[in-house]
Amino acid sequence: MAANQTLTFQSSDGVDITVDRDVAERSLLIKNMLEDLGDAQEAIPIPNVNEAVLKKVIEWCSYHKNDPPSTGDDDDSRRKTTDIDEWDQKFMQVDQEMLFEIILAANYLDIKGLLDVGCKTVANMIKGKSPEEIRKTFNIQNDFTPEEEDQIRRENEWAEDR
Amino acid sequence: MNTSELLSRSENTLQSPGEENAPSSETQDPSQSSFKSIFGPSEVPEDTTDGEPDGNQHAPHTFRNVTATSAKLADESVAPFLAKHIPKQYAPLGSRTIETETSDLSGPNSKYCYRHRPELKCRRQADEPSMDKLQRDLETLPQSDQQGIAHVWSLFSAAPAKHRKLILQGIMAQCCFPQLSFVSATVRELIRIDFLTALPPEISFKILCYLDTTSLCKAAQVSRSWRALADDDVVWHRMCEQHIHRKCKKCGWGLPLLDRKRLRESKREIELRATTWNANIASSNPTPDSTEAGPSVESSGAIKRKSGANNDEEMAMVKRHCSSLGPRPGVDDDFFKPRFRPWKEVYKDRFKVGTNWKYGRCSIKTFKGHTNGVMCLQFEDNILATGSYDATIKIWDTETGEELRTLHGHESGIRCLQFDDTKLISGSMDRSLKVWNWRTGECISTYTGHRGGVIGLHFDASILASASVDKTIKIWNFEDKSTCLLRGHTDWVNAVKVDTVSRTVFSASDDCTVRLWDLDTKACIRTFHGHVGQVQQVVPLPREFEFEEHDAECENDNLSTASGDTEPASLQAALGLESNSLVSRPSVFGPTFDNGRPTPPRYMVTSALDSTIRLWETSTGRCLRTFFGHLEGVWALAADTLRIVTGAEDRMVKIWDPRTGKCERTFTGHSGPVTCIGLGDSRFATGSEDCEVRMYSFQS
Repeated sequence: MAANQTLTFQSSDGVDITVDRDVAERSLLIKNMLEDLGDAQEAIPIPNVNEAVLKKVIEWCSYHKNDPPSTGDDDDSRRKTTDIDEWDQKFMQVDQEMLFEIILAANYLDIKGLLDVGCKTVANMIKGKSPEEIRKTFNIQNDFTPEEEDQIRRENEWAEDR
Repeated sequence: MNTSELLSRSENTLQSPGEENAPSSETQDPSQSSFKSIFGPSEVPEDTTDGEPDGNQHAPHTFRNVTATSAKLADESVAPFLAKHIPKQYAPLGSRTIETETSDLSGPNSKYCYRHRPELKCRRQADEPSMDKLQRDLETLPQSDQQGIAHVWSLFSAAPAKHRKLILQGIMAQCCFPQLSFVSATVRELIRIDFLTALPPEISFKILCYLDTTSLCKAAQVSRSWRALADDDVVWHRMCEQHIHRKCKKCGWGLPLLDRKRLRESKREIELRATTWNANIASSNPTPDSTEAGPSVESSGAIKRKSGANNDEEMAMVKRHCSSLGPRPGVDDDFFKPRFRPWKEVYKDRFKVGTNWKYGRCSIKTFKGHTNGVMCLQFEDNILATGSYDATIKIWDTETGEELRTLHGHESGIRCLQFDDTKLISGSMDRSLKVWNWRTGECISTYTGHRGGVIGLHFDASILASASVDKTIKIWNFEDKSTCLLRGHTDWVNAVKVDTVSRTVFSASDDCTVRLWDLDTKACIRTFHGHVGQVQQVVPLPREFEFEEHDAECENDNLSTASGDTEPASLQAALGLESNSLVSRPSVFGPTFDNGRPTPPRYMVTSALDSTIRLWETSTGRCLRTFFGHLEGVWALAADTLRIVTGAEDRMVKIWDPRTGKCERTFTGHSGPVTCIGLGDSRFATGSEDCEVRMYSFQS
């Protein structure tokens, strides 16, 4: 019975976290690693992911452990929806740093569903905003000269749907 | 837990590190310049370093406990702490022991949190206004207080990540709720990250690909690095893909079909671009987190896997288009010329076409030459073919408006025609079908077999269907030369459509019904009742067409609702009954579709002389929507996934949104009934009994 096995992850800050194997296997990186190397006896180091983020990632994986495995082709990209289901929306109500780290961790661990939700969350923060509002949201310096800014604004005017 | 408890506990926490770092060596005050390097030039008052012991006398109440020894602390614990943790700046000459200690701590997580290395771009920048305010507020305090505060800051500044966390925990534990609220509000303001610049580009692209057109164009105006990402081909190629022949629900308009060959070709370029973007563009502008977030090799590997999958998906999509659209004559070579045009430009052009459709901005060309009513037409690229009651077919150049040639041979009016790149087939009231080489004008062959005029035809792959005044549909198989008749309609059959994929045929008749036929069994699978006038046209919608159930006008019995206003109640009831009997059939299309045989297109549109257009669900026989607006019978109908175009006896042409049922625009101009319509990506053409053909082009 491989399903009830547990694994131990070691976060970048050296904390050991025990995870059910089926939860851990939401990460394709871990899944492939286990397939290639057989069962891991000692703690698997997860560099770049600290305890707080790792716990958050595991929380997501636990909730989504029964989701159908991602087949690689996502309907989403064709439908281009940024709708996020309710639980995920709540889950993503974190500060930008945590969101940033979750996205990086999901990318590193190859957890497609989580990466999608993270990216959609950022996309929703951009949507419908003016350039200045976007700069404010993400604390970005406007490094265009006024002339450039004006020119780029004119270049993009067509998208105003008028 | 109350605040005083917190306070007393935290005092211990705060003091313990100081005690541990008890005077090990005598150090002088830190130099001015080193402070600057920690705090930045504007934050630290000039005089932080010359704190005098007597400053303690003015200690304000907030420093009651700590400041009692503030100056001593500076000597006894602050300096050594600083010396330990930022030895390059602080270590006094000769303190070798400390240096060996720090070398142990110089691992990745000792000095800086891994996200806060100074060389990283994502490191937070202090913003000027708030730092100015901080400076001013600080300057109102007595010197000694300034020094005390500066000591706390410098301790924190010098502390390694772990220590910083401890310090913060201690401070926060001392905070009362209003202070925590201040922290919470401030923190929310402070944690703002430039995601697109800080994330690896493949993830930034992924985020951008979730945006709509307008938001993407706004994103391009944010900053230089945002512009580089948001304008990139990787993003806009995806945008083009997503809008091909489908109306995007978010932005409400659809991008007409792009040449599929070009799309496939550039797909490879784009994949290459997405995986090498980092190296090409970001090399001059290294994105620190691609090294932080994990080895870049691994992440690009992941991308490769993903894009492979996308490619398969894309191929499947392209295939679907091939089958649903049928053969496209003469691949337009012009599509290949601007291959290196940015995809954003391509998209922009198509977007403009979309908005031109939406707002009715178009140029109109009129083709004059027929001497009797124009009854049928088709156009592809720059070729327009028209058939008329004057018994001729004319071939036109749509670019120049020039009449290229006239095909003579039929003895009576031409009622239907279709061409592909090699042939043109026409049907006439003279009861015959003719096959032509439209490039030369030569008639290749003539088929007789109907006992009445041929008024509708459609071919796809090797199957030709013809509809006739003799109430039958004849199926001609080009491959095995076989023919067969589909009988069932009780009046003229006006239109036929072959669906090769499901081996079915749709037909519309003057008997007010539409029928769906099985080409394998030659049987009628389904009869659609609802129109109360002669049904002139039937068009199955492409399989990509999506209709949401809640868009339907009535969920239970659309037929009766749809017929509502125009019919007497008794008739309505009768029709309602009939529709129910259809719905309750056990198998949707009958047993011949049980073994995974492709089903017919799910939706179709019909037009009739009852002045209405109807949208049907073929699997249930339900009429999902009725389009009202024409004043007289609707002769002509064309539709794709984006729009329905109709022409009627009332001389008007109307464009409808199939989803909302709204008439988006009405065109007038013909001086006779509109009899036929052709629809393309960026234009449509109408033929009329006034002998003219009008072409409306929405190309910008």
